[in-house]
Amino acid sequence: MSASSDTSPAATGHEAAVVLPANLHARPAGQLARAAGQFSSTIELDYNGKTINPTGVLGVMGLGATAGSTVTVRATGPDAHDAVAALTDVLASAE
Amino acid sequence: MSTPVGIVLVSHSAQLAAGLRLLVEQIGSAAVPVVTAAGTDDGGIGTSYGLVLNAIKDADRGAGVLVLPDLGSSVLTARTVLDDHPRPDAVIVDAPFVEGAVAAVVAAASGADLHTVVKSAEEARHVRKL
Repeated sequence: MSASSDTSPAATGHEAAVVLPANLHARPAGQLARAAGQFSSTIELDYNGKTINPTGVLGVMGLGATAGSTVTVRATGPDAHDAVAALTDVLASAE
Repeated sequence: MSTPVGIVLVSHSAQLAAGLRLLVEQIGSAAVPVVTAAGTDDGGIGTSYGLVLNAIKDADRGAGVLVLPDLGSSVLTARTVLDDHPRPDAVIVDAPFVEGAVAAVVAAASGADLHTVVKSAEEARHVRKL
């Protein structure tokens, strides 16, 4: 498993880091954005000093995140835990 | 899952619009109705009032339709169609053709409403590639 370090700073805030198994190119970016759109929590993605809202597919692609690098998913809100779990799952299974 | 917003791709070139539709189905979802209105009625380079009008009807699943033109007379033709057949749930969008289509289809696939899908397409102008 690539998902790790669920730090849970608060009851409604969750965060996890994923080492990408593949480049975050168009198709997984689309999957990620569609998954992010299912949650009401505020979700952020950190990569290489950039922070974006993963519901925007173009922003996800614009990260230029490559295989072997680490992406951090952070969510705040009522379904933050599920959001982080779902998004780390998409990231960890990117092909 | 609610009914997805429909997307109409208006282009001078049938091949360009068809290729973009294939791309957005791969990145976004084949579940979103994406209809092309591209080329002239006889398959040449240009735009067709009738094709745009029919495409808006074809893309409509009840949640509204976003119309995305590539440039020039695609914009003029799409605006003329919507001026002649005004409806509150069909909106022409000022956005880059490829990026706007990708952003719109992904948003529509997430179940976003017309306003959100339009906003996603418009924001495509401000997202840097590099």
